[in-house]
Amino acid sequence: MKTYLGELEELVLLTIAALGEEAYGVSIQQDLETRCNRNISIGALHSTITRLEEKGFLKSWLGGATQERGGRSKRFYEITQAGKKAVAEAKSMRDELWTLSKVKLSVK
Amino acid sequence: MTQPPKLARKILEWFAAAAFVEDMLGDLDELYFIHLKTKSTAVAKLLYWRGAMSLLFSYALKKRKAKASLGLYSSSISMGLLRNYFKVAVRSLYQHKYFTILNAFGLAVGMSISLLLLSLISYVQTYDDFHTNRESIYTIISERTEGVEQLAWALAPHVLADKLSENSNVKAVVRINSYFREEVKLPQGLIPLRGYYVEPNFLDVFTYQVTQGNARATLSQPNHIVITESAALKIFNTTHVLGKTLELNTGGLVVVGAVMKDHPINSHFDFELLASFASLPQPQASISDQWTYFDFQYLYVLLEQTASVSDFQSYLDKISDDTYAKLPVKVAFQAQHLNDIALGPDLRMAIGPKWEASGMIVFAVIAAMILLPACFNYTNISIARALKRAKEIGLRKTLGGVKFQVFFQFITETVVVTFIAFIGALVLFYFMRTEFQKMLVASNALDLSLTVRMACYFLLFALGTGLVAGIFPALYFGGLNPIQALKNKVHKGSSAMRVRKVLTVFQFILSFGFILSLVVFNRQYQYSLNFNFGFAKENIVNVALQGTAPHLVKNEFSKLAPVQSVAMSSQVMGLGYYNTWIKDSENDSTEVAHMYVDDNYIPLFGLTLIAGTNFTAEAGLVEKFIIVNEAFVNEYKIATPVEAIGKTYNVEGSELQVIGVVKNFHFAPLRYPIKKFFFRNNPAKFTYAHLKVSTADAFTMFTDFETHWNNLNPEQKVAASFFEDDLNDGYNHYVVLLKIIGFLGLLALTISVLGLLGMVVYSAETKVKEISIRKVFGASVLNLNYMLSKEYLKLIVWAVGISAPVTAYLIYLVLPHLQYYSTTVSLWDVVISTAILLGLAMLTVWSQTNKVAMANPADTLRSE
Repeated sequence: MKTYLGELEELVLLTIAALGEEAYGVSIQQDLETRCNRNISIGALHSTITRLEEKGFLKSWLGGATQERGGRSKRFYEITQAGKKAVAEAKSMRDELWTLSKVKLSVK
Repeated sequence: MTQPPKLARKILEWFAAAAFVEDMLGDLDELYFIHLKTKSTAVAKLLYWRGAMSLLFSYALKKRKAKASLGLYSSSISMGLLRNYFKVAVRSLYQHKYFTILNAFGLAVGMSISLLLLSLISYVQTYDDFHTNRESIYTIISERTEGVEQLAWALAPHVLADKLSENSNVKAVVRINSYFREEVKLPQGLIPLRGYYVEPNFLDVFTYQVTQGNARATLSQPNHIVITESAALKIFNTTHVLGKTLELNTGGLVVVGAVMKDHPINSHFDFELLASFASLPQPQASISDQWTYFDFQYLYVLLEQTASVSDFQSYLDKISDDTYAKLPVKVAFQAQHLNDIALGPDLRMAIGPKWEASGMIVFAVIAAMILLPACFNYTNISIARALKRAKEIGLRKTLGGVKFQVFFQFITETVVVTFIAFIGALVLFYFMRTEFQKMLVASNALDLSLTVRMACYFLLFALGTGLVAGIFPALYFGGLNPIQALKNKVHKGSSAMRVRKVLTVFQFILSFGFILSLVVFNRQYQYSLNFNFGFAKENIVNVALQGTAPHLVKNEFSKLAPVQSVAMSSQVMGLGYYNTWIKDSENDSTEVAHMYVDDNYIPLFGLTLIAGTNFTAEAGLVEKFIIVNEAFVNEYKIATPVEAIGKTYNVEGSELQVIGVVKNFHFAPLRYPIKKFFFRNNPAKFTYAHLKVSTADAFTMFTDFETHWNNLNPEQKVAASFFEDDLNDGYNHYVVLLKIIGFLGLLALTISVLGLLGMVVYSAETKVKEISIRKVFGASVLNLNYMLSKEYLKLIVWAVGISAPVTAYLIYLVLPHLQYYSTTVSLWDVVISTAILLGLAMLTVWSQTNKVAMANPADTLRSE
């Protein structure tokens, strides 16, 4: 594995992938809150996104200004090829660990 | 519907500055309205604040800000920009060569003194760095309180050593006694040697290289020494001296048991040999168990590496509390680290070379007084030339340069000038180094050659100087309004003008101070030389007896034709004095100065007896009489000198009778007031012969002295000199002082004059057209000169007005400390100093204004 991917980073990447066309600051935060029960501040979220962008896992563009945003545009995010590879690698590593694990891991 | 909190948004926007945060603010707003649906307004607002704050300190915003600053209107300094600044600086400096040279020369002169200080500090910091145990070595110093007198000494009583060894943190205690006063008897005469009495563990704690013999064994035997190689060469002309014996002046013999390499000169010890502690002479050995008298005794401890100094210090405090509780003298001990000895607080009786912190501070103040005016000059000239640079700055700012960048540009320029000056200062430093070293007391323990540490200090210093000199102009230029700058509307009536004037006045205050001090101290020196001491000093030759019997010397020298009479005494008058204690029948004993003389002394030195008689030629074996001075009579409250005759005083156990009273004369140097004094008559104490001579050929006379002296004492060289010269030599410190003040004054004056020159050149340059027009309308050269120079004249008058009373007062305070009988500052001194300063300054000003005033107006006006 080339780049280390933090747990939150992985969640954010996956959430952005799941949200598809509608992935921007608020929607990502709300999704993380409802789906993953993770309540993170908007500052922490933007920081994580910035780190992911620096690693080349995300790309972004502006658009979609609405009334409740005071007419300010949103910054939409999309997962890049490198990002997809990184989450895939993370997943395969976990899968490998699951299959290798000697203890019977099952959830009742 | 309520709106999100405005203030939080404003703060975030302000903090973000150029960075793009629209999407973040949008997110905050959106979240706010989502929260409003489920929560109260207050909670939603609170959450908005929290979100804004989390963004404010977020990594995301930091990154966006960094990115924004690299945009089109960048406010940071990139490498390319730095190169551009450097290039512009070099071009601008090259274009204004005259000012660059003025500035660089002034700064070089200003920095040179500071370089001396830095080189000194950098060397002194290396003191004692050759001891491998240096981190754990401490010396014990003592603060002694007796009555109201409180003094700090480098000494500590040796009896303390046993108590120190009891402490488990102490690995070793080294006792050193510095009472080594021996001279070696050699065929060519007596050679004094510097040495310490030490114990064998001295060599365990301190790191020295023993080359031959067993040094530890040597130091445990009486009358054995360890000698350094240079001392061995000095005495035996060889370093293979193991087992040889030295004959000492006191009659004893000592055996060389080991030879060691000379210690490095950066050491707070200074010795040529180490003698065993067992060889310590009796009076010193017998006082080593005393807590109150411990001259020449030093203690060093080697602590365990894990030991805490504060614990050790409290241990010392406890000892001193316990020991001195019942004694009249209180002594507080303190552990001083080895690294702090050489450059530490002022202590009495330091064991070797020492650089006192107070002296360093005085030196630093002087260095700053020379350096700062040079920096001011730079500041002054730079601001004065603002007009020329204003367009450039205006353009830079219009094209998007921000304050910080302009600031940085000018700092770069100053640093470039400073480094040019620094090279000049280095050259000056190389020339001044030797002369400077000669003036220092501990100069043989100093090596001012360039080291890496020194070079680092120098570079940092040059950079620092650049910043100090450049900060003000850089701030000024950075704050220029581009519109005004481009319209050429800066500079007039600005506060910079006032600052320039204040700086110039300050410089001339300093220069005037130096000139006035020079004039007054020179007068003080002349005053001391021409002082009427109350005794004759002409045509008297002093001959040191050097152990030869007085009557032999008298007989031998009386034979010579130029010698008219011979007197004997115990010392040379006017150079110093000795005290003894005397007691009369009623009062307690008091301290009185005294001197042993024979019957010829009083007439030979032209002293006047105002009552009683002189000593007689037949001095008995027992001392009987004394002759006192007027001050003695007054202080003992005797009404008239005649009444003093016949009174007896107990002097050192015997009753002596007053047989005469002499008129007051200066038996002591002029630093001391005339006090109680008496002459006594005891041939055994004579150490000097005084010859009254009359000759035109001093050279032949001294050669005759030499041949006759060799008849008496061929082992030693004759030591004869004119009394007047001896006396004048006693005031030689004034010559040194005058040299120093003169040199510093020259530097200060050079810097001020350079500054003035820069200002005048600039202002004459800008007024060329005005002057030409005035000339066309009929102004005379004199008129024009006056017009151009009156501004500077005013500044100098201001400077003299401020400096004269301040300097005069300071000198007035200092003079009596240097000398009890001293001159004072007179109006004439001030007038002469003012004339010198004004003369020099006006010469500088007129050299420039005259050139402009003399120019042909047709030449200057034609071009437009």
